[in-house]
Amino acid sequence: MLSRVAERVYWLGRFLERTENTARLILVRHNAILDLPREVQADWEQVLQVMGSEQHFAELGATANEKNIISYVFGERENPSSIISSLTSARENMRTTREILPSEAWERINSLYLSVARRSQKDLPQSARHAVLNNIIQACQQVTGLLSGAMNHDAAYQFVSMGRNLERADMSTRIIDSASAGLMGDSADVSPFRNVLWISVLQSLSAYQMYRLNVQRNVSPADVLKFLFQSTVFPRSVAHCLHEIETCIASLPDHKPALQVVAHVLHELNATDCSALAGESLHEFIDELQIHIEAVHHAIAKTWFRHDEK
Amino acid sequence: MAEAKIKSPQPYTRARVRSTIDWTKYDPGEFYDEIISAPGRARPATRSLVAFMRKQTIKHLVSRQQAADLAIQEMGITFTVYSEGQNIDRSWPMDIIPRIIPLQEWRVLEKGLIQRLTALNMFIDDIYNKQKILKDKVVPAEIINSSPDFLKQCIGAHPRHGVWSHICGSDLVRDGDGTVYVLEDNLRVPSGVSYMLENRAISKRVLPQLFERNSILPVADYPSQLFDMLASLSPRRVNHPEIVVMTPGIFNSAYFEHAYLAQRMGAELVEGADLVVGSDDKVYMKTIRGLAPVDVIYRRINDDFLDPEVFRPDSTLGTPGLFRAWRKGNVGLANAPGAGVADDKVIYTFVPAIIKYYLDEDPIIPNVPSFLCVNEQHRKHVLKNLATMVVKPANESGGYGMLIGPASTKKERALFTDLINKNPRNYMAQPALKLSTAPTLCGNNIEPRHLDLRPFILQGKHHYVTPGGLTRVALRKGSLVVNSSQGGGSKDTWIVDTEAG
Repeated sequence: MLSRVAERVYWLGRFLERTENTARLILVRHNAILDLPREVQADWEQVLQVMGSEQHFAELGATANEKNIISYVFGERENPSSIISSLTSARENMRTTREILPSEAWERINSLYLSVARRSQKDLPQSARHAVLNNIIQACQQVTGLLSGAMNHDAAYQFVSMGRNLERADMSTRIIDSASAGLMGDSADVSPFRNVLWISVLQSLSAYQMYRLNVQRNVSPADVLKFLFQSTVFPRSVAHCLHEIETCIASLPDHKPALQVVAHVLHELNATDCSALAGESLHEFIDELQIHIEAVHHAIAKTWFRHDEK
Repeated sequence: MAEAKIKSPQPYTRARVRSTIDWTKYDPGEFYDEIISAPGRARPATRSLVAFMRKQTIKHLVSRQQAADLAIQEMGITFTVYSEGQNIDRSWPMDIIPRIIPLQEWRVLEKGLIQRLTALNMFIDDIYNKQKILKDKVVPAEIINSSPDFLKQCIGAHPRHGVWSHICGSDLVRDGDGTVYVLEDNLRVPSGVSYMLENRAISKRVLPQLFERNSILPVADYPSQLFDMLASLSPRRVNHPEIVVMTPGIFNSAYFEHAYLAQRMGAELVEGADLVVGSDDKVYMKTIRGLAPVDVIYRRINDDFLDPEVFRPDSTLGTPGLFRAWRKGNVGLANAPGAGVADDKVIYTFVPAIIKYYLDEDPIIPNVPSFLCVNEQHRKHVLKNLATMVVKPANESGGYGMLIGPASTKKERALFTDLINKNPRNYMAQPALKLSTAPTLCGNNIEPRHLDLRPFILQGKHHYVTPGGLTRVALRKGSLVVNSSQGGGSKDTWIVDTEAG
């Protein structure tokens, strides 16, 4: 398989996952805000924090209100992490690797792109949000399903899968980080709703139901963190994503150095005592974890994408 | 239906009569129509199509056209147009009413196309080696020596099977009296075959009934024929030669096709930077397993850009050393560099003589009578008759830089008179043909539109001709320009066996 193609399908996996995660993020935020009492200010800026786009949003000069933030995260092409931008990149990577991917997957992503591109020229009012975002999430899952069910599970598939899992791990850390910033503080007006907000963190990661099944206790910060960081069964936990990446890496040629990097990250992650993480220490832990995830990305890129650096 | 009749038979019948397609109103005038022989009368091979359409309402046809357009959009069948400083990805325009050619006629054309390509390949091989045809003065040597497409670097090369142009797209047109002519040969990197295949896929989706009722030759075999032909060029005698499709990249107008063909052949789609020529003068591609040998390259990139060591040094699309590897016989290149020397529009005028010279046969498909502006007598004739002629530059493709006499203004004719006088070698002219027409859905009407046909001919160890080809249609009323970059559309092309059950 060509290195260039490997790199493109890897990014296809990442952008597809990013599209889905962003849609999920907005949808969950939308639902959580509907649950909050009216006197608590609906905090849409948190969505910008998760995506690391606060500064860029401010530079564009729009007021940080619900309508503008949603437009920015949904349909703003100037925003490199918006749904339309991620989808454009996913589609472009797929368009340039069409020859190795099942054509149904291309047709699905292309029609999703066309519908989002049309939709993104308008606002996303409350009444339409659920239908539009849910459609995006479902279409992304269909594409993932088509790739899993209709594509050879060869090297190309491993690269898609690595991209997906790396992006997923990254997004999980971002969501926890941003939520914890609000949750760990002592701000009095939030504390009564802490439970609701932790539940919304779990929901952002489609984790609530699985958490209940697995943990079978009420929602507590230490349990939630342990579940989201270290669960070996929940497919969006950071450890699970890294395990998946590890399996993919092991199936590829010349994998030794990359495998060492990911094994090291997993070891560090699993050795952490989640009940000791709170406030500043949690934030520092997440920072470090993100650096580790970035290192995994570089190891993959160096091993299989860049011939000049070998 | 029965229910409707019981309720109100009168209005229902009237509405039906009014809105179905009335073939007696369809009038191609002085032109040969591919579907209709006289107002209201189908040709033998088109009877079933005409009868089918007679039962349809325009509304129904329009809705099928919309279904086709939607399918094209969703399947992402696109072509790229460079316009106003940016590349625009446009959906491929296809008219759902097919163009039909009877099988008996097609068999003759097929023979003619193979004859033509065989002779042209012998010509190219001769030009780059012994140059017998020049020594025998059948083709004037100065035409070759002054041709920018005659690549000195290729002199003495011996590609496998003596074949230089492995994939050829020849444009056929039909004149008012029904005669089919070869308008031009494309021996370098002809495009359009993927659209031929996709058009068929679409028309099977939207007109399945007609496929049941007619015996239409299938076209889906092309990618495997192409693969076999390419495999026959492999320098290594291995069971599974590594074949790649080389594309200039996503911004090329035919990128869709490059990806499509690679996908259908199960070949890697490579860009120049994915390939490297080793110190052993062999070609390798950069894979996740390191460097892997490449046996045959179906290159969709022009000679100029192929290898910066030999051709344009500023090319970033090609691979340094590629030409060297080919000259040493270490890699098969389709088409071979230098093949373009034979699709020059001036050489075109010699093709009948070329066929006679190498094969001692008369051409099965005639050339359009042509006038070379470099010849003084011809030039005078052309300048005098500009208003009834089509003038073409010798080395342009895509319908650029042409003068269509009957549709031209006085100013345009003055401009071309100037151009021709300044550089006569660069121009040739042909009488404007009365290009045949076929019924085409234009808005809510069915109107005649002019068309041509580009069949694709393969030559490696064996020959293969696509059954039919890509029919291109000028969508503007009266227009003769069929290129998709200039507002042309396309049709599915059916070779129909009228004798089959």
